[in-house]
Amino acid sequence: MISLNHVSKTYETPAGKFAALKDIDLEIRTGEFVGIVGKSGSGKSTLLNMVAGIDRPSLGSVAVAGTEIHALSENKLAAWRGRNVGFVFQFFQLLPTLTAAENVMLPMDFSKMIPLRERRKRAVDLLNRVGVERQADKLPATLSGGEQQRVAIARALANEPPLVLADEPTGNLDSVTAAAILDLFRDMANRGTTVMIATHEADIARVIDRKIEISDGTLLHS
Amino acid sequence: MTTLWRKAIRDFWLERARTALVVLAIALGISAFAAVLSSYAILTRELDQGYLATNPASAVLRVDSIDNDLIKAILQNPEVSDAEPRRTISGQIKAGPVQWRNLMLFVVEDYGNIRVSKLVPEQGAWPPATGEMLIERDAFEVAKANIRDAVTVKTANGIEQPLVISGSVHDVGQAQARMENMVYGYINLATLVQLGEQPRLDQLNILVAQNRFDEDHIRRVAGDVEQLIKSRGHEVRRVEIPQPGKHPHSDLTGILLLAMSSFGLFVLVLSGIIVINLLTAMMASQVRQIGVMKAIGGTRRQVALIYFGQALFLGIAAVIVSIPLGILGSRALCRYMAMFLNFDINSFAVPVWVYLLVAVIGIFAPLIAAAYPVWRGTATPVRVALSDFGLSQANFGASAFDRALARIGGTASLIAFAIRNSFRRRARLLLTLLTLAAGGLFFLSALNVRASLVNTLDRMFAARKSDLSVSLANPYELEKIQKAISNTPGVTRAEGWFTTEASVDDRRFGVVALPPDTQLLDFDIVEGRKLTAQDTDAIVINNALAGRNPNMRVGETVVLRIGADEKAWRIVGLARESFAPSPVGYIPLRGMVNSLQLALDNTDPDSISTLKAELDRNLEAQGVRARRSSTKGENRFAFDQHMLMIYVFLILMSAIVGGVGGLGLMTTMSLNVLERRREMGVMRALGATPRIVWLMIVAEGIVIGVLSWAIAALLAWPVSKVVGDSLVSIMFRSGLDFTFEPLGLLIWMLVSIALSAVASFLPAWRASRVTVREALAYE
Repeated sequence: MISLNHVSKTYETPAGKFAALKDIDLEIRTGEFVGIVGKSGSGKSTLLNMVAGIDRPSLGSVAVAGTEIHALSENKLAAWRGRNVGFVFQFFQLLPTLTAAENVMLPMDFSKMIPLRERRKRAVDLLNRVGVERQADKLPATLSGGEQQRVAIARALANEPPLVLADEPTGNLDSVTAAAILDLFRDMANRGTTVMIATHEADIARVIDRKIEISDGTLLHS
Repeated sequence: MTTLWRKAIRDFWLERARTALVVLAIALGISAFAAVLSSYAILTRELDQGYLATNPASAVLRVDSIDNDLIKAILQNPEVSDAEPRRTISGQIKAGPVQWRNLMLFVVEDYGNIRVSKLVPEQGAWPPATGEMLIERDAFEVAKANIRDAVTVKTANGIEQPLVISGSVHDVGQAQARMENMVYGYINLATLVQLGEQPRLDQLNILVAQNRFDEDHIRRVAGDVEQLIKSRGHEVRRVEIPQPGKHPHSDLTGILLLAMSSFGLFVLVLSGIIVINLLTAMMASQVRQIGVMKAIGGTRRQVALIYFGQALFLGIAAVIVSIPLGILGSRALCRYMAMFLNFDINSFAVPVWVYLLVAVIGIFAPLIAAAYPVWRGTATPVRVALSDFGLSQANFGASAFDRALARIGGTASLIAFAIRNSFRRRARLLLTLLTLAAGGLFFLSALNVRASLVNTLDRMFAARKSDLSVSLANPYELEKIQKAISNTPGVTRAEGWFTTEASVDDRRFGVVALPPDTQLLDFDIVEGRKLTAQDTDAIVINNALAGRNPNMRVGETVVLRIGADEKAWRIVGLARESFAPSPVGYIPLRGMVNSLQLALDNTDPDSISTLKAELDRNLEAQGVRARRSSTKGENRFAFDQHMLMIYVFLILMSAIVGGVGGLGLMTTMSLNVLERRREMGVMRALGATPRIVWLMIVAEGIVIGVLSWAIAALLAWPVSKVVGDSLVSIMFRSGLDFTFEPLGLLIWMLVSIALSAVASFLPAWRASRVTVREALAYE
C-alpha cells in the first residue's frame, strides 16, 4: 500500500540545514493500522506529510497505492489526495463558515467522485457512523472538541479513501473522548482502510496493529 | 449549489459590513461610468435624430440671386429631391436701452412651405407677419427681449428699423445662440425690404434624392447644381456641405462625454484597488483554511474559484446597484446638456449595448482586481499554509526603514505608534494612499483650474482697461467728444476708437482702429510687435483671426476690404486673447471715431450709471448721439457663468473620487483592526483603556490621511496644469494662465484629516469594544 524508499527530507532554515527525515525505508500493507510514535520535532508529522503528498522528499521515492506521488505536480497531488487520502488534523481544521455536513461534503465537491445528489445523504451517513448526525447542520463553532474531531473524521472518509492519515488526532481532547476517537480509527481499519496515526501518546498501543517509533528523523523499530 | 459556493457566500456574509463598503465603492465607479456612457448614447442619438427630423439641407449654395426659374431648372435633376431658397443676412438688434447685439437674420419666402432645414414653431405667431420677427428660443437671453417686445434692427446699411418680436422658433441645426452670443431672427421678404435691403434670396438649400448620408455623392450632386447655376449666368460664391446626418455639435458632445466617461473608468480602477485590498486581507486571513482545503483534495483552481466567486459577487451586486443609479444620473446629465445645447430629448431609452458594456466592465473589473491576490493567496504550499499561525507575526523591524520609523516619536508615543502601525502593511498602505491621493489630486486640480480660469479672466479684463465703452450712432470728430468728456467728472482717461468690419476672401471679421499708443488695451503680443505711432498700414491680428485664416501670419501682407475700400495691410503682430475670442484685427486710428473707451475713478454700477447719464447729456450738447454702452462688469459676469460649469464638474468629480478614497481607507482601517485584534487584547491586558485603543486607531487613520495629502500636494501642480490646459483647449480653443491656489492645500489637508478620522471612527470604535478575553481568544 505504502512504500518509502531511502526518503530523506532536509529543510533550509535561517539557523542552517535541518534534517527532518534521514534515509527512511518503510512498507505498510493495505488495511494495516500503524501508529507513528515520537516526541515533538522527531519527524513524525513530516513522515505523514510525505505519505499524504503534502510535502516532498529531498531524496528517495514515495509510492502510495501504486502511484509514485513524489513525481506529481501540486495540482495533480491535490486531486490525487482528494480521492486516495483522508486527512485528520490535531486542531480539527473544520471550515468555520460551513456546517458539519457541508464540511463533510467539501471533499466530495472537490473530487466529484460521488454524484451531486448523493453527497448530502452520504455526508449524513458518515456523520451517523461517527455518532454526530444530530450536529449535521450546526456550524463548527457550536460543537465541542470531540464532536468537531468526529466531523473531521467523517470528512476524511468522504470519498471513501483507501488511506486515512491523522496527525495528533487526540492531542487536543480529553482522555475519554480521545479513546472514543481512537476506537473510530480502529473501526475504520477493521473495514479495510489503511490508517496511519502520528502521536506522542503511548495509549495508542491499545488499538494499533504496528507501532513505528521515530526519533530525530530516524526509525527506531518497525 | 456546492459547498464551494456556500463557503464563498457565507465568508462574505461574515464580512458583510466590509463587503458593503467595497460594493459601494465599485458601484460609485460603475454608476459614474454608466451615467456618462448612457448620456453619450442618448445625446448623440437624439441630437442626430432631432436634426434629421428637420430635413437638413444636404448642401447650401451661396448664389448671387435665386429665382423660381432657376429652382425649376435645378429640380429637373433627378438626383435633387428638393431645393429651397433663403437669405441669411447679418445685422444688429437692440431691445430697449441695452446695447446692440449681433443678429443673424434668416429670410424665408414662404413659412407655410418649408421643406428643407425646417423650423419648429414654439410660441406666439407663426408665420411672422411683415414688420415682425421670430427669434430662436435660445436667443431671447442674448437679445434681452421677450415676445411682443419692440426692438430696433439694422443691417449693414445702417438703417434702423423697429420690428416686433412676435414669436419663438426652435432652429435645431443652429449653433447655440448663447454660446455664439448671437441672436437668430426669422423674417419674411417684405420685412427685409423694410430694413432697406433688396428683396433678393441668395442661399439655396438643396436635398439629394438618394444616398443622403454619402458625402461624396452629395458633393457630386452639388457640383452638378453649381454647374447648372453658372451655366444660366449666375455666380456661385460658395458651396457648403455639412457633415451628412450629424448635428453640428454631435461630435463635440460625444468627445466631451467620452472624456467624462474615462473619468468613470478611473473611479472604477480606484475601486478595483479597494477590491485588491479586501481580497488580499481575506486570503491572508484564510491561509490555513486554504491549506486544509488543499489537504483534503482541493486543487488550486478549485480553491481559487471560491474567491473569484466572491469577486464575481462583488461585481454583480455593484452592477445591480449601479444601473438604476446610472440611469438617474444620465437623465440629469442629458437634461442639463440638452438645455445647454438647445435641443429636446424625445426618448431617454438607453440602448442595450450600454447595459451590456456596463455589466461586463462592472463584473470583470473586480475579477481582474482579484486575480493577483487570489492567485498568490492560493499558491501557498499546503505544508506552509497548515502551519500558518495568523497574521500578527508580520515581521516589522526587518528593514532599515522600520528601524528609522522606530526612532520617530520620542515622547509622543501615541503618534509614533500610529505612524509605525500605518506602515505595517506596506502594499495595502500604498494602495490606500493611491486612492486617497487621487481624490486629493482631483480636488486640488479643481481649485487650481478654477483659480487659473479666474486668473486668465483677470488678465484678460486687466488688459482691457476701459471700464465703460460707449458706441456712437455715427462717426464723429474726436474734438467734439473730448469737450463732452472734459465736462464729465470721474473719467480718468478717454480714447476714441473706430470699430467696423473687414472681409478677406468673403470672410468677415471685426476691425478696431485705435490710437497706436492706446492706454486702454494691453496687447498680449505672442509674435511680432504692437502698433506704433509711425504705423500707417500695420495690423495686429488676434489668435482667433490667425486660427481661422492660416495664411494670415506675422510678416505677411493681406488685402482687406473695409467698407468699399480695398487696401493692403502688413501683419506686424499676433496678440493672444483668451476664451474663444471673435476674430479681430487692430489698426491705427485715423480721423473719425464711433466708440468711446473710458477708464473711470469709480467702477461700481451706481457710479457708472450716474456718470453715463451725465456723459449722455454732455454728448447731446455737442450733437453727439450715443447708441449703446457696456461695462466691464457686465461682460465679466457672462464669462464667470460659463466657468462655473467647469468648476462644478471638477468639484463633483473630486467628491466622487474622494468618496471612493474614504471607502478605501475605511476598508483598510477595518482590515488593520481585524488583523490586530490579538495585539489590542494584549494592550488592553496591559492597561490600555478603550479610549486609548480608539485614539490609537483614529491616529493611524489620520497618519494615512496626512500622507495622502502630502502625495496629492506634490503632484497637484503638474496634474492641475495638464487638466486645466486640456479642458480649456477642448472647450475654448485657447490657453490658460496657470496659477496655483495655495489655499487648496490647506483645505484639502483639513478635508483629508476629517475624512480619515471619519473613515477610521467606526473600525476604531469596534476595536475599542473588544474585551481582553475575546481579543486574546481570537484566531
